[in-house]
Amino acid sequence: MNDVFSVELENIVKRFGNVVAVDHVNLKIRENEFFSLLGPSGCGKTTTLRIIAGLEEPDEGIVKIYGEDVTDVPTHKRNIGMVFQHLALFPHMNVFENIAFGLKMRKVQKEEIRRQVKKILEIVKLEGLENRRVNQLSGGQQQRVALARALVIEPEVLLLDEPLGALDLKIRQHMMVELKNIQRRVKTTFIYVTHDQTEAMTMSDRIAIMKDGKVQQVGTPLEIYYRPSNTFVASFIGEAVNLIEGEVRENGLVDTSLGTIYCTESLTKGRVAVMVRPEMVEISDKLHDVDNLFKGTVQSIIFKGSYIEYRVDVQGNTFIVHKHGSAELERMHHPGDFVEIGWRKNSSLIVPI
Amino acid sequence: MAIWFYAPFFIVGLYSFDMININRQIVFTPSLVHYSRVLSWTGAMGIFLRSLYFAGVTVLLCLLIGYPVAYYISFKIKKYKDLFIILFIIPFWVSFLLRTYAMMSILDERSFLNTLLTSLGLIDSPIKIMYTDAAVILVMVYDYLVMMVLPLYANLEKLDKTLLEAASTLGAGPVRTFLKVTLPLSMPGILAGFLLVFIPTVGEFVIPELVGGPNNYMVGNLIYEFFMGARHWWIGSALSMLFIAFILSLVIAYVRKIGERGLAF
Repeated sequence: MNDVFSVELENIVKRFGNVVAVDHVNLKIRENEFFSLLGPSGCGKTTTLRIIAGLEEPDEGIVKIYGEDVTDVPTHKRNIGMVFQHLALFPHMNVFENIAFGLKMRKVQKEEIRRQVKKILEIVKLEGLENRRVNQLSGGQQQRVALARALVIEPEVLLLDEPLGALDLKIRQHMMVELKNIQRRVKTTFIYVTHDQTEAMTMSDRIAIMKDGKVQQVGTPLEIYYRPSNTFVASFIGEAVNLIEGEVRENGLVDTSLGTIYCTESLTKGRVAVMVRPEMVEISDKLHDVDNLFKGTVQSIIFKGSYIEYRVDVQGNTFIVHKHGSAELERMHHPGDFVEIGWRKNSSLIVPI
Repeated sequence: MAIWFYAPFFIVGLYSFDMININRQIVFTPSLVHYSRVLSWTGAMGIFLRSLYFAGVTVLLCLLIGYPVAYYISFKIKKYKDLFIILFIIPFWVSFLLRTYAMMSILDERSFLNTLLTSLGLIDSPIKIMYTDAAVILVMVYDYLVMMVLPLYANLEKLDKTLLEAASTLGAGPVRTFLKVTLPLSMPGILAGFLLVFIPTVGEFVIPELVGGPNNYMVGNLIYEFFMGARHWWIGSALSMLFIAFILSLVIAYVRKIGERGLAF
């Protein structure tokens, strides 16, 4: 596969005083990819984005856009678009003037500006609002103006810094789908910074998980969910996870305080954690056809709508088990019930600590 | 309180409409005679225009000097911004009159500065600046500069710096970012500074009295003369009322322009 990379970061380091905000980050972002930088606050994701934009200068390393080294190119000469966390719409301009700003800076003809603004307003579904002042718009509409303003200049890469953070849940869910559609339509690389895994999982082709300035893992949503490269990623992604620490005895066998657990084969050795997602764990009075079986007591049950969450105590360890399906309601276990939980060996994964 | 506040103003108003006080007998038959005399007096108009000109040039110079100062402190200084602002304000803690006298001693023909420059051979003869237009304007700029810098600084501090970053991501370099974003958004500060400098300087009478010559009279001096010199309180009052009306119209125009944001900046 001959990949074209829109953005490449090579060994980027950025320090603020004694704090290393970005610590030797290497990323290759493919052309027309929806790429997310995901991590808890303070993990360096926003700084990384600002380095790509040229708003922050790296202390070490190289930034490339379409193969060209732009490390020393000022922001206004990089062909990027950016949507800011608080949008940063110009308050003294109306919707049209805001969107036309970048085109005017590029000395585009008046008629052409009018045509392109009209076209982009159609894409973001804001037709007819050209003359509104930005403070007369709803949060969702302002969001679209910010997006249109950044997209109308046809940037080589669009950078988005937690743009949906300020919106309420319903509009946010709607905008997630919309953003993905717009990205498909305009065929541009989107680099999206967020601390919200739902946003990242919903929209991204690939996600980079960051922590303490370092990239922990880069992969598709499926890969990072089912094959986390360490315990941080395993517990950061997904609603919940079961992690049991132990020692690798041989390929696919881990000795833990609960006994030996059979896992997907892995080359990892030494001290590890066994990871099993709550929905992969089965629960019943009597279980068959599982490779790992434990007897336990139900501690609590929570009805979560589409599934039931059990907390099961096994020799002092709490397991989280998610059971889907309405039929489960009739066969529900209750706190204090003795149950068996278990899973097949390829449902559990050996994860380095 | 309000009565005390407005009583002098009210009395001046009565005088301007020809109230006469003879031997403690108040005779008041409202008349516009003093207004018509003032308005048809071209000499007064000339002095009024000169006041506008002096105040206008002063505002412009304050803006040209004050904007870079406010911009620099707000944008370029990262630490101890307040310290810089206080350092800038400290000279203005000294009484206005003292500052003006200090300036006089610098501008004077026999001043230390002039003596130094001539003795160094940098100038042939002492710079003659006292008792000229330049002296009046220079001292007014010095005395009122702080009134321009503070509202500008307050305004620039409030300006969301990510707007400037947004402009740069859209392809605007530093110059165009300044012209298209920073400057338009600092208009409230410029307008506030304009009012705070223009209003006191257009009515200024101490500075032209002290550093100006016979040709640098301003409206304030004229009104002063009518009250304290010629003792013609009626013309003085009519002049004052017209002047207040002019200032009031400026303030109303300002409030309209700023709209609901009000006088606060």
